Amino acid sequence: METSALREPVLLVLLSLAEQPRHGYSILKDIESMSSGGTKLSTGTLYGALQRLLDNGWIERVEEESTPRDRRTYMLTSRGRRNLQMEIERMRHLTKVAALRTARKEA
Amino acid sequence: MTLTAYRWLLCLYPRSYRHEFGDEMTAVFREARNDLAPAVGAKISFCRREFCGLLSGALYAHLTHLSGSAIRFRRFDMQRQFRFPLSTVFLMVVIFAGVVLTIAKASTIAGDTSGSAWPSLVSVMILMLLSICTAAGVVVGVLHTMRRGGVHRLENVQGLRSSMQSNGREP
Repeated sequence: METSALREPVLLVLLSLAEQPRHGYSILKDIESMSSGGTKLSTGTLYGALQRLLDNGWIERVEEESTPRDRRTYMLTSRGRRNLQMEIERMRHLTKVAALRTARKEA
Repeated sequence: MTLTAYRWLLCLYPRSYRHEFGDEMTAVFREARNDLAPAVGAKISFCRREFCGLLSGALYAHLTHLSGSAIRFRRFDMQRQFRFPLSTVFLMVVIFAGVVLTIAKASTIAGDTSGSAWPSLVSVMILMLLSICTAAGVVVGVLHTMRRGGVHRLENVQGLRSSMQSNGREP
């Protein structure tokens, strides 16, 4: 996961958790509002992404005794935040290249 | 999609996955369903999305479960412009089932006594499933062989990735 471009659901989940720890439904709603309703993840896709991120140590569960089992909260780890920053840098670089190329073409 | 149908579809996932995420997924599904707009279109879209998401998620979970972390299944990811929407796959299966049923019905009406020449829908579906499993097995084998051979390292020659790695990204 570390060396290739992130898949869209994974990136969106990371972006959602970058702001604050969230539980599953909150992540779904946040992604929907982030994309102005353009992207709606299914629960299958969401939990597939969460499982991959947990396995890679990019996110972790917030352990609270009072939290019910069906409403667990997830948060970014420092590793996840670092890799998200790198992904954003990669996208920024790509956007810059794209802007330069299209500007050259127009000129 | 009802909660019962959702729970039934969750059975397609490996047991360990259900144990870890099953309760949460059901709770999130329930909340999302309760929050749906009353329009019929929104409900159909929601059901289609959940159905396709569960099927693909279960397939992915099984493949990951079978192979452990030895193979990174991102290799199955296609570039966005070449991807089939999941709804297309779903519709193709529905259309295929319709065609097989129509053929079976037509042969019955025509009084074709050699009914065995037309395989039943169930047997065709089982055959399709076996074919898909075989194809998936072959793909996994090829990917595994490529990984053992170090072919996957060729992707490191791409300039963008190299520049990212030189910027300190983890291997």
